[in-house]
Amino acid sequence: MSVGIAIDQVSYRYQNEVDQALKSVRLSVLPGDIFGLLGPNGAGKTTLMSIMVGILKPDEGSVSYYDGKRSLDRQEIRGIIGYVPQDYAFYPELTPLQNLAYFGAMYNMSASRIRKRSGELLDVLGLSNVAGKKVSAFSGGMKRRVNLAIGILHEPRVIFLDEPTVGVDVQSRHAIVSFLKELSRNGVTIVYTSHHLAEAEELCNRIAMIDHGKVIAFDHVSSLLKTNNSKDLQSLFLALTGISYRD
Amino acid sequence: MYKLLASLKKEILLLWSDKAGLLLMFAMPLLLVFVITIIQDSATRIASENRISILAVNHDEGGSGKELLEKLTASGMFEFTLRNELSREGVNQELLSKGILMALYIPPDFTSKLTGGAEEISSLMLRDLGMEQGGSVVGSPPKPNVSFYFDPVLQENFTTSVQNIVGAYVTQVETALVIDQLYEDTEIEARPDELKNRMLANRVKIDMFATGRGGSGLRPNSTQHNVPAWTIFAMFFMVVSLGGNVVKERNSGSFLRLKTMPTSFFLVIFSKMLVYVLLAVLQVALIFSTGIFLFRKIGLPELVIPGNYGAFITVVLLSALAAVSYALLVGTLARSHEQANGFGAISIVLFAALGGIWVPTFIMPEFMQVISMFSPLQWCLQGFYTLFLKEGSWVDLKWVILSIAAFVAACQAGIYLKLRSEKLV
Repeated sequence: MSVGIAIDQVSYRYQNEVDQALKSVRLSVLPGDIFGLLGPNGAGKTTLMSIMVGILKPDEGSVSYYDGKRSLDRQEIRGIIGYVPQDYAFYPELTPLQNLAYFGAMYNMSASRIRKRSGELLDVLGLSNVAGKKVSAFSGGMKRRVNLAIGILHEPRVIFLDEPTVGVDVQSRHAIVSFLKELSRNGVTIVYTSHHLAEAEELCNRIAMIDHGKVIAFDHVSSLLKTNNSKDLQSLFLALTGISYRD
Repeated sequence: MYKLLASLKKEILLLWSDKAGLLLMFAMPLLLVFVITIIQDSATRIASENRISILAVNHDEGGSGKELLEKLTASGMFEFTLRNELSREGVNQELLSKGILMALYIPPDFTSKLTGGAEEISSLMLRDLGMEQGGSVVGSPPKPNVSFYFDPVLQENFTTSVQNIVGAYVTQVETALVIDQLYEDTEIEARPDELKNRMLANRVKIDMFATGRGGSGLRPNSTQHNVPAWTIFAMFFMVVSLGGNVVKERNSGSFLRLKTMPTSFFLVIFSKMLVYVLLAVLQVALIFSTGIFLFRKIGLPELVIPGNYGAFITVVLLSALAAVSYALLVGTLARSHEQANGFGAISIVLFAALGGIWVPTFIMPEFMQVISMFSPLQWCLQGFYTLFLKEGSWVDLKWVILSIAAFVAACQAGIYLKLRSEKLV
């Protein structure tokens, strides 16, 4: 069974900042969703994702995970989530296999399971032929795929991806998006942020648009487009967030 | 356990990938130990084994000048180049133009003035003994002098030592003359040679002992200082590699990813500590082995390991732990790789200078000696000194052990508080 997430009145303010990064955010990610968190730069997407994965603790409100009707505790949550941050979160001096071996052990995986899963993932993500080479020598697209492989190595039931396709070529983007669709078909819940709205439209079934720390739209993609009379997510995005620069 | 092994393996792989860092950690201290020990050892040999070269100009019209030079040569401490053709003014010019460091000028009236002085002392003694002779006159004859020229580059303590040695031999010549004069004035027919020899031979002998508990008579030398000193420096200089490693890992996002995983962050820190402490122990093994097995072959004093192995291992491990804890603290506090490297390297150089790694603290001004007590490198060095030079016991080491342990605890507390403020633990 898939896992869902309930975000209830979450607020957060960074140290030494006057404005709140998040203001009473209320959302729900349904089991099996590919959920898009969209918004301009500095809107609060990464902050919200950091709170959802437990890196940040909200000033107010709560994030809860549920499996059916059962609420999961912190330790259980850590075991079932996979996090793929926007920055490369691995060791470039090591090979993909060495990185996977290390992070797999941190996920409590056995050595044999790590070997099996590493082989499968590197194969699917087109990294088998460079499995023994240092990641530092890889292209941006290859590094993104290594970053993704580490986050999904332990077969998480919920995956968080912060801009997983930023700065990659068309082939890498296609590989990553196809892989995420495959995961979703297998019942994995996916929470995803991106500035690539066409990609989000293709991938997500539900989205939330955030601006200035507030949720300004939240529904199924098709419903939002219909309600706002927009032809695509980009026109909806501009209609809701305006055309002025944000950074 | 599997997590710990995986973590250790990751640290070793990261370390192995940093070949330049490894080279710096092992090759740099070896090079420093070799170069500094050779330099200090040759300087010690110049002072203790080689004879001091002095240009001598003897214009004395009597025999005392020659006798003084013979006695100084016989002492084995000096090697004279006799240049009697030079004038007094020429001596100064010779020093300036030929790069000669020291010269001794004996004036023409040296013997006559010495003899005058001897006659005066003899007359005084005879007068006090009630044996005054009609012809004797007790006055104040001009005092004899010799001139000692030296290059200003020479240190004051060195020139003062040479001056004192020359003064001691002048006194010997003068004493012999006084005895001769006494014998002559009292018309004793026997030769005063026996008296003179006995008086010179009966001088108080000073026995030298280096203090220590074991009674092995080990004397401090350049090896016994430099090998432990530069090993400590190398251990603490790991801050450049380890501090940078921590900053890089924090900034790379790996730390944040770990926070979302079912693992303890202390595991990451603990495995780093373990690997780098082992690395520091390897540094000790390599540098000390060089001191024990290689130094003798290239003519340097051999490193002698203290007999108290338990205390020795404790001091090595504590020093390694202190170095690693400091590096982790710098890596945790620094915001960038450049900050960690810059601050880390400069702080260790300063701690080393203050802690007596380069020059012993006892020759520093008093206020610097007080400041040096705050250098962790000084505590580690004191630990090695206590074992290597004084053959100290556990009791002698108690303050060293307590100081280093307190330093380690303070660093670890700093690391914990900083990581906690960043919500990483």
